Amino acid sequence: MIEVDGLRKAFGPRREVQAVRDVTFEAPDGEITGLLGPNGAGKTTLLRMLATLVVPDAGSARVGGLDVVADRYEVRHRIGVVSDARGLYPRLTARENVRYYGRLHGLPRRTLEARIDELFTALGLSAIADRRAAGFSQGERMKVAIARALVHDPDTILLDEPTNGLDVMSVRTLREELRTLRAHGKCLLFSSHVMQEVAALCDRIVILSSGRIVAVGTATELIARAGTSGLEDAFVALLGSDEGLAA
Amino acid sequence: MSGATTLPERGSAVARTLAILRKELLDTLRDRRTAAVTLLSAIAAGPIFLLLIFNLIASQAERARDLALPVVGAEYAPAVVAFLERAQVSVSKAPPDYDAQIRRGDLDVVLVIDERFAADVAQGKPGTVQLVFDRSRDRARVSIDQAEALMRGYNRLWGDQRLMLRGVTASVANPLRVETSDLATPQQSGALVLFLVAYYGLFASVMGGMAVALDTTAGERERQSLEPLLMTPARPVEIVAGKWLAVCAFNALVVTLTLTGFYLTLAFAPLPPVGVPFLFGAREFVRLLLVLVPMILMLPALLLYVGSRARAYKEAQANVSVLLFVVSLIPLVQLFMQRKEPAWLVLVPVSAQYSLLNTSLRGEAPALAQLALAWLAPAALIAIALTAVARRLARESILAGR
Repeated sequence: MIEVDGLRKAFGPRREVQAVRDVTFEAPDGEITGLLGPNGAGKTTLLRMLATLVVPDAGSARVGGLDVVADRYEVRHRIGVVSDARGLYPRLTARENVRYYGRLHGLPRRTLEARIDELFTALGLSAIADRRAAGFSQGERMKVAIARALVHDPDTILLDEPTNGLDVMSVRTLREELRTLRAHGKCLLFSSHVMQEVAALCDRIVILSSGRIVAVGTATELIARAGTSGLEDAFVALLGSDEGLAA
Repeated sequence: MSGATTLPERGSAVARTLAILRKELLDTLRDRRTAAVTLLSAIAAGPIFLLLIFNLIASQAERARDLALPVVGAEYAPAVVAFLERAQVSVSKAPPDYDAQIRRGDLDVVLVIDERFAADVAQGKPGTVQLVFDRSRDRARVSIDQAEALMRGYNRLWGDQRLMLRGVTASVANPLRVETSDLATPQQSGALVLFLVAYYGLFASVMGGMAVALDTTAGERERQSLEPLLMTPARPVEIVAGKWLAVCAFNALVVTLTLTGFYLTLAFAPLPPVGVPFLFGAREFVRLLLVLVPMILMLPALLLYVGSRARAYKEAQANVSVLLFVVSLIPLVQLFMQRKEPAWLVLVPVSAQYSLLNTSLRGEAPALAQLALAWLAPAALIAIALTAVARRLARESILAGR
């Protein structure tokens, strides 16, 4: 579970760019929570703070009960992160990419290899397991990035714009994957500016704009609050405009 | 999908560092073209350059053996010509444009015998011969020296004969006998080859890790694989250590191959007849390697630092070029320093190594104290550079290079 309390972050020499302002919310286990907001809303910064990559200026965040600042390395053992730029090594094969991270997580060899095979089968990567990542399509890259993020069986999974650049089939595979992880009791948090994705997948939605939380709740709660008929209309209504959002 | 596998966790700092080292080496070798070019040129450098030098020396030696001396006016002094022929000189008739040919470098030296030669000698005056040459031409120098020596020799010979005819022994006119004793041991005379091996060994330790260092810092950032790496349990200091060791390993390989190339060439290639009496056996090989170890470890640290400051590969390449340019200049400056090197030079990195390399190649074992002192500056620089890189990785601004 993710617990965020009054998180703040500003950038720049005089802290003039307020990326995240006083954000508070919870993402429970066994649920998919979505961060929806236009580009520049602070989603990536927020995720990076939860991923222990960036230190907050104020407030606190706990992932799996551990503080992201005080226990950062312990937290890293328990989270899997899929960044916006997947960040694979083009000269290494899919298997080698995942193996590298498995080793960094301290997985012993035999366990690691078994785990990689397991993941690749589940994600449909077996055919390209030993091909260099340089030639992969966006969908294949996404799958390898997911495998890499899951190799150490983390309880919490963070994804930044996971459907970016994916075709329809890959998006479907991704959705199935996330649902399976949810069924296993994982805590999933993903950011998106695509309303449809958030609407289709999320049990709980956090709407962000200009670094602030606009609304938090389940789909039903948000629709009721906005007084609209559909979720996407609710988003637009709550945000005040549809600028920066994609259908 | 996660199954019921409770995965045993953790792992140690050493394990993570090794994992990073292994991956960086694998990634480097996968770039087959760069790796092949680097390694092949490392092992080929020695043979190519040494063989070129040997060729040069051998051709000079050959010229020394067969001096070809065109003569103008051979008919005016047949005795001189006969002397030359007895001295194995191939005498020929000089072409009318010998002046121009010498200027052009087609002819090395020409002997011009004046038509009044016989008349002058008959009157008791010195017979004049003229040697025409262009001393600025390197290739002609051997022939010029030989021709001069021959003419001086003939003068002595002729003079001694005259004295004898007058009943005076030759030693009356030559009261001083000059004997020379050259203290240069055979090893010290291979000056050019010495410089080449020292410089190339040094050069290899500077350039060897360049491509890898760039790829592992700027390249990683450009491929945007640094961000996810920083979210793994690997600490910045482990990441830096792993990358550094990988660059050092590759650097060591390049240096070893370069020295091996020289070693094999000197051991097996046909040495020129003049002989570059040069000792480069197994012991010298090991000594050179030992002298270069601080460089093999220091340059990767410096390159990593420079590479980590840049946001893009091209920028890193430009900065690295400056660093390498400066470092390569140092031995050249030392070469032109005519005076004996000051004692404090051992504390200056690169300079110290260059001095020690030269010492070793001259057949002297560098003093242990010198070797130890030569480590001080590199060790300090390594610590500073690696700490700086680790700090950069720990800072958030590293992500801004997106």
